[in-house]
Amino acid sequence: MKSFEVAVIGGGLVGSAIAFGLRSLGSRLALLDEGDVAHRAARGNFGLIWVQGKGMGLAPYGAWTQRSAREWPRLAGELLREVGIDVALVQPGGFHVCLTQDELSQRVLSLTALQAQPGFKQYEVEVLDRDSLAARLPAIGPEVAGGTYCSLDGHCNPLKLLRAFHAALAKAGCNILSSHGVTSITPQQRSFTLNTARGAIATEKVVIASGLGSVTLAPMVGLAAPVRPNKGQIIALERIPRFLTMPLDTIRQTDEGTVLIGDSQQDCGYDIALGMDVLATMAARALRVFPALATASVVRAWAALRVMSADGFPIYEQSLAHPGAFVATCHSGVTLAAVHAYALAPAVAAGALPESFKPFVASRLAVPVASAMGIDTKR
Amino acid sequence: MSSVYDVVVIGAGPAGLAAATVAARHALATILFDAQVQPGGQIYRAPTMDPAMRVAIPGDDHARGKARIEAFRQSGATYVPDASVWAAGNRDDGLHELAVSYGLPGARNVRSVLARAVIVATGALERAFPIPGWTLSGVIAAGSAQGLLRPSDVGGRRIVLAGTGPLLRLIAARYLDAGVAIDALLDTTPRGRGWHSLSDAWDFARSSYLGRSAALLRSIKKRVRIIKHVTALAAHGHSRLESVQFDAAGGTHALSADFLLLHQGVVPDINFGSAFGYAHRWDDAQACFHPVVDAWGGSTLPGVFVAGDAAGIAGEEAAHARGELAALAVANALGRIDAKARDATAETPRLALRRALRGRALLDAMVRPTDEFRLPKGGTIVCRCEGVTTEQVVAAIKAGAPGPNQIKAFLRCGMGPCQGRYCGLIVTELVARERKIAPAEAGYFRLRWPAKPISLNELAALQGSPEAERAVVRE
Repeated sequence: MKSFEVAVIGGGLVGSAIAFGLRSLGSRLALLDEGDVAHRAARGNFGLIWVQGKGMGLAPYGAWTQRSAREWPRLAGELLREVGIDVALVQPGGFHVCLTQDELSQRVLSLTALQAQPGFKQYEVEVLDRDSLAARLPAIGPEVAGGTYCSLDGHCNPLKLLRAFHAALAKAGCNILSSHGVTSITPQQRSFTLNTARGAIATEKVVIASGLGSVTLAPMVGLAAPVRPNKGQIIALERIPRFLTMPLDTIRQTDEGTVLIGDSQQDCGYDIALGMDVLATMAARALRVFPALATASVVRAWAALRVMSADGFPIYEQSLAHPGAFVATCHSGVTLAAVHAYALAPAVAAGALPESFKPFVASRLAVPVASAMGIDTKR
Repeated sequence: MSSVYDVVVIGAGPAGLAAATVAARHALATILFDAQVQPGGQIYRAPTMDPAMRVAIPGDDHARGKARIEAFRQSGATYVPDASVWAAGNRDDGLHELAVSYGLPGARNVRSVLARAVIVATGALERAFPIPGWTLSGVIAAGSAQGLLRPSDVGGRRIVLAGTGPLLRLIAARYLDAGVAIDALLDTTPRGRGWHSLSDAWDFARSSYLGRSAALLRSIKKRVRIIKHVTALAAHGHSRLESVQFDAAGGTHALSADFLLLHQGVVPDINFGSAFGYAHRWDDAQACFHPVVDAWGGSTLPGVFVAGDAAGIAGEEAAHARGELAALAVANALGRIDAKARDATAETPRLALRRALRGRALLDAMVRPTDEFRLPKGGTIVCRCEGVTTEQVVAAIKAGAPGPNQIKAFLRCGMGPCQGRYCGLIVTELVARERKIAPAEAGYFRLRWPAKPISLNELAALQGSPEAERAVVRE
C-alpha cells in the first residue's frame, strides 16, 4: 500500500491550495483527485478575489477574506517564480453596480449593517452616484443608478490558478493522483486508510477538501461537513477589445479578453441543467449595465455547483476523535486560496488549528443562525 | 408559431425531411428548424442552390432529393429556415424546451419552443485532418471548400487534394466537371486496405457503394494524377500555403500549391446531443463517438430521437429511412398509431435501411483514417481556435490531467467558438494513447450551450421569470 505523511482529498481549488502550502513535504504529500468529469466547483469559479460585502453574520469571516486578499500578491508571485505561470492577478478594486435607486439604497443599508457588526474589521467602501460611477466606468448604460466600490477587490484567472497549483506540486515532487476518488476513510491507530477507486492508501494525516464529497467522508473520521450544492450559472462571451479594467461582482473581462457574466444562485440539488430563464435574466441585466455588449457573441454558458454551508461560511476543523483528520470546505476557493496556502496549510502541518479558526467549526451550524437571512453569500 | 409542438425536428437533410414529412402525415404538430436558407441539407443542396456545381454522378440523388423536398413542403410541417437551435433542456412536466434564433442577421427573432418529442437530425461534420501546417491559409477542409471556393475563385491556381474516402473523389469530380484543374490527388488510404472478410466483401459487392465508387474513380482517373499510399503529409508556407510535402513510393516529394483541400471522412456532429445530455458510445470501426440509440433512433433521453448521420455515418438512404423510423416511433408514443400499425409501416424503411447498410462495414474499414492522420505529433496544432499544440496536450496528460475536460480547463483546448467540434476526437484519442486506455474511457469534452454562437442580445430576448430574478439579483 502506498503511504504518505499527508493526503489531501480533493484536487479542486481548496485542496490544491492547501497542498501547495504543504509542498515542501515533496513525495510525502499526495493530492487525491477524482476523474475527468468530477463536479468541480473550481471549473465554475468566476475568478474574483472579493472582499466587498462579505461576512454578514460572522464577523471573523470578513477579516479572513481581507487577509487572503492581502496575501494574494505573494501567492501569485510564488507561482510565477516556481512554475512560470502568470495567474493574471489584478487587484484594482471592484464595483457592485445598482440599476435602480432602490437597489442602491438596499446596498448601502446592507453594507452599513455588515460593518456595524461587533468585532468587524473595517475597510473602506465608497458609495458612488451615477456620475461618479460613470467617471470610472464610462461604458455603463443610462439605466445605471450608481454603485459601490472597494479598493481591496480584484480578480485572476482561476483555470490558470488551478493549473499553476498542480504544476507547482508536480515540480515539488508531490504526488497528484488523478482518478483516485476516495470512497471511504478508515481511521487506524495513528494513521488513516483511504479507500480509493485505484486501491487503498495509508496516510498519517488527511485533509478532506472534496467539496460536496466531504459530506459523506467527514463523518467517517468524526467530523461534519454539512454542505449543500448551490447552482451558479455563468455566461462567457467571445474575446473583445478591452473595455473593462476593473471587475464588477457580476461582470468581468478576463486577461484573455473574454467577458464573463455571472453568476446566479439557486438551491436546486445536483441539477446542473441550464436554466434558460436565469441565463436570459443575467444577459438582460448585463446589457442594462453595459449596453455595448449587445452584439458580442455568447460562446458558452454553463452551470456549476457551489459548495455551500447553511450560513454560507467555510468549515475548518480537526477531528477530536481522530486527530490528524481535518476538514476544509468553502465556496470561495479563489478568494481564500492565499490563506488556505499560508495559514491553513501550516496549521495542518503543525497538527493544530490555532484559536483564530474557532469561528469556523461545523458545530456552529447545529443551532439556527438567524443572521443567515439575507446575507450576501457571494463567493 | 404556437408554443407547444408534438415534434421539433432539427435539420433539413435527408433524415430531418423524412422525419418531418412522416410526422406531419400522422397529424402531429410538426416544426422543422434548419440552419440553411433552403431545405435539403448538405447532400441535396446542389439541386436547389448550386446549379454550377452540379455534376452527373452515378445514381439519381438529385431527382430523389427534389422529390423528397417537395413531399416535405406538401406535408403540412412548419418549416423555419435560417434557424439555429442553440439550447435544449428537459422540463419537469416531460416537455422539452428549445431555444431557437431565426431570421436574417441583424433582425433575429428568439423563441423558446416546447415540444413533446425532439428528432435531432443535425448530420455530420468533416473529421479534422491535423497535419503539420493544416492551419495555414490556403489549407481548407475539402467539404467546406465546396461552398467557399467557386470554380471562378480557383481558376489558374494550383490545387492539391489529399485524404481518403468516397467524398474526396466526389469533390474532385465536381471540380473537374466545373472545369477546374487539379494538380494531384494524394490518396492517404494505406496499402492493403480492402476485402477484410468474406461476408463484408459479399455485402459490399451487392451494395450500391461498389458501383458508385468505381464509377467515380473512372470519371476522375483520366483527368487527375492520383498518388496512392501517401504518408507524412505536411503543408508548408510562410504566411500562406506554398507547397505540400509527402512520402510515397519510397521517396519524399513536394508539390507547389496555392490550395490544399483535405478530407478524411465525416463524423457525427455530437455537440448538440452531448450538451443535451443523451449518452454516446465510442465506435472503433469509424473512430468516433455515436449517440446510443435503439432501433427507432430513440436516445437515452425519453422523447428524444436521433436520425441520419448524426446517429452514425451511413449516408443518404439510411438517413432517410432512419428519419421515417423515428417519426413512426413518435407517432406511436403520442397515440396517433398503435404499435401494430407502427411496425407494419416501418417495414419499408427497415428494408431500405438494411439495404443501405449493406457493405458499410467494408467501407468503414477501407476509409478509416490511419493513426498517423488522426493522432498528430509535436508542434502540430490540435485546437485551431486557441492555438493549442499536440506537445502541450501531451504534456498536460503526462502532468496528470485525467481526460479531455481537465485539458480544456488547463489549456483552453476546445474552449473556442467551434466548441471543440474539430479537436474533440483528437484530444480523446491522444488521452487514450498516452494513458493506454480505450477512447471510451478517455471520454469527451462536456459540452456547453449555446450549441451555436448567439449574441448576448439574443440570449437576453428569451423570457425571464420571477424565480430567475431572485436567482440573479442581489443586494
